[in-house]
Amino acid sequence: MGRYILRRLLSVIPTLIGVTLVIFLFQRLIPGDPAVAMLGERATEENIARIREQFGLDRPSFLDRDALAEGDLAGFFDSQYSRYFGRLMRFDLGESIHRRIPVAETLKERFPATLELSLLSMSIALLIGIPAGIASASKRNTALDGVTMVGSLIGVSMPIFWLGIMEIMLFSVFLKWLPTGGRLPTGVEIQSITNLLLLDSLLTGNFAGFVAALKHIILPAVALATIPAAIITRMTRSSMLDVLQEDYIRTATAKGLSLKVVLFRHALKNAFLPVITIIGLQAGSLLAGAVLTETIFSWPGIGKWVYDSILGRDYPIVQGVTLLIAIIFLFVNLVVDLSYAILDPRISLE
Amino acid sequence: MEETKFEINGLEDFAVREHRSLWIDAWRRLVANRTAMVGLIVVVLFLLSATFAHFFWDYEPKIDLDYGAKLLPPQLIATEEVDIHLFGTDKLGRDIFRRTIHGGWNSLRVGLVAVSISLLVGGILGLLAGFFESIHMNFWESFILMTLLGFALGMLPAWIARQFFQAILFALLGAGSVVFDRYLNGKKKHRLYIFPALGAMLAALPGLMVGPMVALVCGVVGLLIGLLLSKPVGGELFSNIVMRIMDIILSFPSYLLAIAIVAFLGPGLEKGMIAIGVVGIPVYARLARSAVMSVTQKEYVLASHAVGESHSRMLFRHVLPNILSPIIVQATMGLANAILSAAALGFLGLGAIPPEPEWGAMLGDSYKYLSSGAWWAVLFPGLAIMLSVLGFNLLGDGLRDALDPKIRL
Repeated sequence: MGRYILRRLLSVIPTLIGVTLVIFLFQRLIPGDPAVAMLGERATEENIARIREQFGLDRPSFLDRDALAEGDLAGFFDSQYSRYFGRLMRFDLGESIHRRIPVAETLKERFPATLELSLLSMSIALLIGIPAGIASASKRNTALDGVTMVGSLIGVSMPIFWLGIMEIMLFSVFLKWLPTGGRLPTGVEIQSITNLLLLDSLLTGNFAGFVAALKHIILPAVALATIPAAIITRMTRSSMLDVLQEDYIRTATAKGLSLKVVLFRHALKNAFLPVITIIGLQAGSLLAGAVLTETIFSWPGIGKWVYDSILGRDYPIVQGVTLLIAIIFLFVNLVVDLSYAILDPRISLE
Repeated sequence: MEETKFEINGLEDFAVREHRSLWIDAWRRLVANRTAMVGLIVVVLFLLSATFAHFFWDYEPKIDLDYGAKLLPPQLIATEEVDIHLFGTDKLGRDIFRRTIHGGWNSLRVGLVAVSISLLVGGILGLLAGFFESIHMNFWESFILMTLLGFALGMLPAWIARQFFQAILFALLGAGSVVFDRYLNGKKKHRLYIFPALGAMLAALPGLMVGPMVALVCGVVGLLIGLLLSKPVGGELFSNIVMRIMDIILSFPSYLLAIAIVAFLGPGLEKGMIAIGVVGIPVYARLARSAVMSVTQKEYVLASHAVGESHSRMLFRHVLPNILSPIIVQATMGLANAILSAAALGFLGLGAIPPEPEWGAMLGDSYKYLSSGAWWAVLFPGLAIMLSVLGFNLLGDGLRDALDPKIRL
């Protein structure tokens, strides 16, 4: 077990280095001179020089063979990538081109909004997906099963940006029940503790603030939860169906145990392993989906920020956020793998 | 020959059913599956309408403008003032029905090309990785692999010292390692010293011509390469390298990587196709590899190996046909995902360049005048995306049931 965990932890390191490499290579994709592309055609010489210096664009990408030919071993390793990597090691993600604010600083400010949205969406997805999957599997080939399966297929096929727009159209433009976007209406203040507004407002006993925050978060959360909910439903159903065919389930039923006990005590425990993997994978697509959802609902998280940065060609921000999301995704899946090993003793024996 | 024929004749009473191929069988199961047929019909309708519209119904997006007919709701009957607008018009007075039909050509094309890219590259990589992971490479395959490996690794010292011929020297070293392994089998112990020493020499001596520091660095690199080349690596290493690269691509959540790539490349349909295609490669590589590895354990592959069939014959006659069904299913579902990702790119303004019609871009456009209450400008392009994606998903589900009755629940 210990060895398995260690091996799994070590296996993340080369992948992480690969990820930084991919993100570093992004800026090679920019057509033309990256410094000019970043600043626009009318940039002054001075600014271009500043960007070149800041990104080390005057240095070679990986290794400097000219320095080596002159006998300079340290200069050989002084390259764009090694500088980039060194900055990353110091948690320095560069700074925004337009606002000249460190990316990491804004990230700290904006990340809680995305985290709150993702957590709520995942909770909604789990609350819908797991019961629906269990019900569908236990009432196989009934109308309920059919409706659930068709519903989950539609959910999987749903373009969430379209769903978000339709939600705004219905609930905000026509019915005027809910706000079209943002995180809080102007005038409402919530004392920040964790920066998760729903939690903070509850902790400070600010009920009006809680309702206001809830009204703002509910539409984007539902849009973002659609695809994970559908996928979790399908996975829970098929995993439960697999388990329900096992001999020990037949034995349990033959013993005269009630359906409830068989389903929840015997079947669910074993059916849950593949579902956990899927939940881990969905965490990544939630963060990716946040780019679309936050854009539609003007949610002040990292997704909306990425969208604005793409439009503004603020490349360091796109690089920084993509890196952060990839790292989170990697670690969520690491945790899933490790929890798998704890839940299923057979894994670590392999 | 005569004997077997006789036997089959004898069995005729027994085998009442005529011979049917797997594919015909699967087709019959597919036709019998109602939801799959709905999916198939939806898919065919979308493909036909998009193709026919592109070739037989002219549309010039650049001159399509009519401010007089701005934001009209759906109009089913023509009156004196307004034409028929089945889906209404957008803020530039363009007919949304027409743009939705024509947009299909762009949206579906992105999906098809992207999936072809991921299928081709990922499929071939996975096929080779899985095959050589479970079946030993023969002399010539090993020879080619090691020569290429030596050449690729040799590029590093060659680049550092600006001496291209070093790469060729290392390619020869790689080839030598295979020959050594085959013909000088008795002296296995020595090669752990011989090859690193040779490698260091091959790199350091030419490096000396450039400078002492270059010789030092090249020597160290050459030593390491020599160590790597000292024993011919099997298919396992190849498979490992391929799968590690796939892991790196997979560690970016779904279309985020595609969005990032296109954000840097700049918008455009073709760039979107490539980005979505590249991002999809690992899925097919993993699937193909695991399918190949399970097939190569089967008796018929072992038998063909035992009777001495060539590797290429084994690969194309026995392995490839038997891994097709999971790949076909995945490709169908992958099409659904690719269309979704393409629409997402279009929505973010990274897909088709306006005024070219594309479903995602149309949505991104109409989203900007949402408060005007023009629901039709939002509803129909989105519905087109959802229905086409749903069609491919339904078809994929049905294909899985039809092609692999064993896993049918």
